[in-house]
Amino acid sequence: MRSKQSNKPKLLWIQGVTCNGNSHSFLNLPSLERLLDSFELLYHPTITTKYSLEDITECKIASDIVIFEGTYDPKMKRNDISIEKLLHFYAKNAKYIIAAGSCASFGGMFKAVSPERNSGILFNEEQKSGPLCSLEKKVVNLSGCPIHPEWMAYVLEMIAIDREIVLDELHRPVELYSNLAHHGCTRNEYFEWKVDTKGFGFKEGCLFYEQGCRAPMTHASCNKILWNEVSSKTRIGTPCFGCTEPGFPRRNLFRTQTNMSIPQDVPLGVPKRSYLTMTGIAKTFHIKRLEGKLIDYKKTH
Amino acid sequence: MITKKLIERIEGEASVYFKMKADKVDFASIVFPHFRGMEQILEGKNGLDALVITPRVCGICGHAHLMATVRALEDAYKKSGFRVEISQKAKSIREFTLIMEMIQNHIKWFYMVAAPELDKLLGMEHTSKPLKGAYVASLAAKAIAVFGGQWPHSSYMVPGGVTSDPTYIEILQAKSIVDDLIAFFEKESLGVSIEKFLSFESCKEFNGISSDISLFEEKLIQAGMHQKGFAHDNFLVMGEHSFSKATKLKHTRPYSVDVKYISTQDAYVENSQESYAKNALYKDSYYESGPLARLMASSFGMVKNMHRRYKDSAYSRSMAKVFEVATLLVAAKKLLESIDISEKSVASMVAIENVTAEGIGIVEAPRGPLIHKVTLKDGTISDFTIITPTQFNIGSSSREKPTPVQEAMKGNTQQEALFIFRTFDVCSVCTTH
Amino acid sequence: MARITKEERKQGIISAALKLFSERGFYITTIPDIAQKVGMSVGNFYNYFKSKDILAKELVIYISEYLGAEIRQINERDITTQEKISEIVSMYFDMAEEKPEMIEYFLRVYLSNREVFSEGCEGMICVSAFVTEMMMFFDDGVAKGDLRNQDFFSAFGLFMGYLGGMVFLFGEKILPEPLEWYKKSISQNIYHALKAE
Repeated sequence: MRSKQSNKPKLLWIQGVTCNGNSHSFLNLPSLERLLDSFELLYHPTITTKYSLEDITECKIASDIVIFEGTYDPKMKRNDISIEKLLHFYAKNAKYIIAAGSCASFGGMFKAVSPERNSGILFNEEQKSGPLCSLEKKVVNLSGCPIHPEWMAYVLEMIAIDREIVLDELHRPVELYSNLAHHGCTRNEYFEWKVDTKGFGFKEGCLFYEQGCRAPMTHASCNKILWNEVSSKTRIGTPCFGCTEPGFPRRNLFRTQTNMSIPQDVPLGVPKRSYLTMTGIAKTFHIKRLEGKLIDYKKTH
Repeated sequence: MITKKLIERIEGEASVYFKMKADKVDFASIVFPHFRGMEQILEGKNGLDALVITPRVCGICGHAHLMATVRALEDAYKKSGFRVEISQKAKSIREFTLIMEMIQNHIKWFYMVAAPELDKLLGMEHTSKPLKGAYVASLAAKAIAVFGGQWPHSSYMVPGGVTSDPTYIEILQAKSIVDDLIAFFEKESLGVSIEKFLSFESCKEFNGISSDISLFEEKLIQAGMHQKGFAHDNFLVMGEHSFSKATKLKHTRPYSVDVKYISTQDAYVENSQESYAKNALYKDSYYESGPLARLMASSFGMVKNMHRRYKDSAYSRSMAKVFEVATLLVAAKKLLESIDISEKSVASMVAIENVTAEGIGIVEAPRGPLIHKVTLKDGTISDFTIITPTQFNIGSSSREKPTPVQEAMKGNTQQEALFIFRTFDVCSVCTTH
Repeated sequence: MARITKEERKQGIISAALKLFSERGFYITTIPDIAQKVGMSVGNFYNYFKSKDILAKELVIYISEYLGAEIRQINERDITTQEKISEIVSMYFDMAEEKPEMIEYFLRVYLSNREVFSEGCEGMICVSAFVTEMMMFFDDGVAKGDLRNQDFFSAFGLFMGYLGGMVFLFGEKILPEPLEWYKKSISQNIYHALKAE
């Protein structure tokens, strides 16, 4: 007798070298229960499922959707079975393979553990030379460190309603990764008029010129789909570290790389000359409202 | 004969090697199979980059790592001769988000690990919804995000304070989230108000109350956990916070502590399997750390009574986590009320390139003391050492000198031992980092 | 006979104005003076430049764009940073010799009469074309590892202050040798002052 379960796509979440950040971020999804109801969850590293890790490493059941979290290290083993074997078996039999996080997408934070052999499942930083090259048509990269749970929900729901997910050249869904982390930051006006924040801990000022903010160069929806439904790094004064891009993690993250006070990297697609001309003009003007405190608590009437 | 059991859903895995005597555990060794080398990754990096790297040691307690790192960096600043004056506002905000992570952790442990595993041990069908725990935990994460921008993996603490400069909008938002958390915890988990719960003399007062925790408590007794899972009855707390006092307890006697007495040694496994973990010791002895240790150190009435009857059994260890959620929720509210938004968020500090010194940062992470030791040379990391709480609790040593978990597992069936193992709330990724 | 375009007319006014300002001085030269030199009526002149102040600002922008274009050409050549410095110095000094009215206007009118330019030429907006190209030069030099990374104004001040100073001395007829003669040593000094260790 066919149970209701058997019509739902099978979902499997396995890990390489990871901190579990993407798993925990996923657990923050408000609609988690409802989302998981659309799938038959075979295995997840934190949620109790029908199958245990021991069952999964036997490689007997195929899954329609495979989510891989963590850097791919072919020599790593889970329950004494190599990740290479696990990924190969599950990827071969899946319709969709989702890289959850920057480690699985590009190598990320833990590529440095063994730089010569660690990579993402499809990309090794920017090069398409990961283990799943021959299956690249099935791979969706959700880069981020960690991913936002709504990004995973988007992909899974699109799969559940059988809609094509349009991807960019790094296999990231264009609907999630076409915005820059810069779009929607509450400090935008300071960016427009080139008012830098001097140091950390202020509501005022843009973090791009001195504090290392990568948001104008980073594809992410962080200031559009807010984190934990309430906020984002840049809104509370922490610079964006560019975690959705292949270069993450970069170095000297809290300081903007400048050459003679000129930012090394300017907003994506903007010619440096154009940027410098605009900046030069904007920096000439001293807009009193923007250079003072945003909120004047001493105002009485 | 040695049986190997794989334990998963401990933020990674571990293997327990049981040596049995009939159907009871004679001795057990623990192996953690994965290693990433975070300390090597940190070498050569700018000191501030550690604020982004160390949270990635762990997805469930990364925020504790962030605080340990920022404290270590600030200590290095001080040792280099610079004054570090963090405003009370910044201290309170940091403490608040640390507490929220701890609450999130314990709730997940309870609903997603302990409760289902206890039912499994008793051969019962697990009826409660583990995802309930995920929902409640997400509220705590939301409260962190109000100040920290996001959870997991915020890096909003910098030397001198915090990057966020909140208004009362954020304070009230956080308060509202904490109120929602409390409402849920009281209604679903406790079955009574937190005030009432914290005034309990003993868990007998749960009688007549039907809630997730009262049921759990009954089942712990049913499984005999109040008479099993005893470790050495010694406790260690190293982090100084509004909710914890650094102290060591030999049974109930308190002693002062100093971080210089903490040492680590390679894990020892009887059948010479390779474990990447290192055991952590205080003055060459093993101590239990975590919620039970912290509550014992704070002389919390109900816990003292519980300990009088049940010592450091698996029961006490488990119930302590529940108690701690309640006390932390109260502490969190107090912190929010105390925040003066007119204070500075970050004290002005010189550039980190001016710092050449060794700094130590200690925090109480959900499972116990988390220690970061950083050596900076002109602001660049030349050495970084991390000691995590699971190294204190879940070491692997010899029969002559068993670690807390090894002592606790002895003399029980394998199934019981595996549950007792979990009452320590193990974090595999932190242990080997 | 080909009709002179508006653009060529405008160019004519600019050249004439610069020459007159250079020969007679900024304040002494009047609009009628300039109009007469170009051979147009004063009324027609005002079709091109609405006032002397506006003309003054347009001249700064014109010179800045001219200099900017020259430096851009140098920036885009496939030569070393050291060679670029020589080229910029050479171009600047050549301009000072061949078109003295341009650099002179910049040094003696723009920099010395700030009150004329306070409205509409705040800060560096009117010279942005030139400053932007210098920024591109510095950015490229540091990125390549040829120049020492430092504050922009420290480097800019050294480079441009030095060149401006030399041209000023040249204009005062204090330099014993022609400007050409100083190109090599000045380029060398600038390079050694700015280069990476």
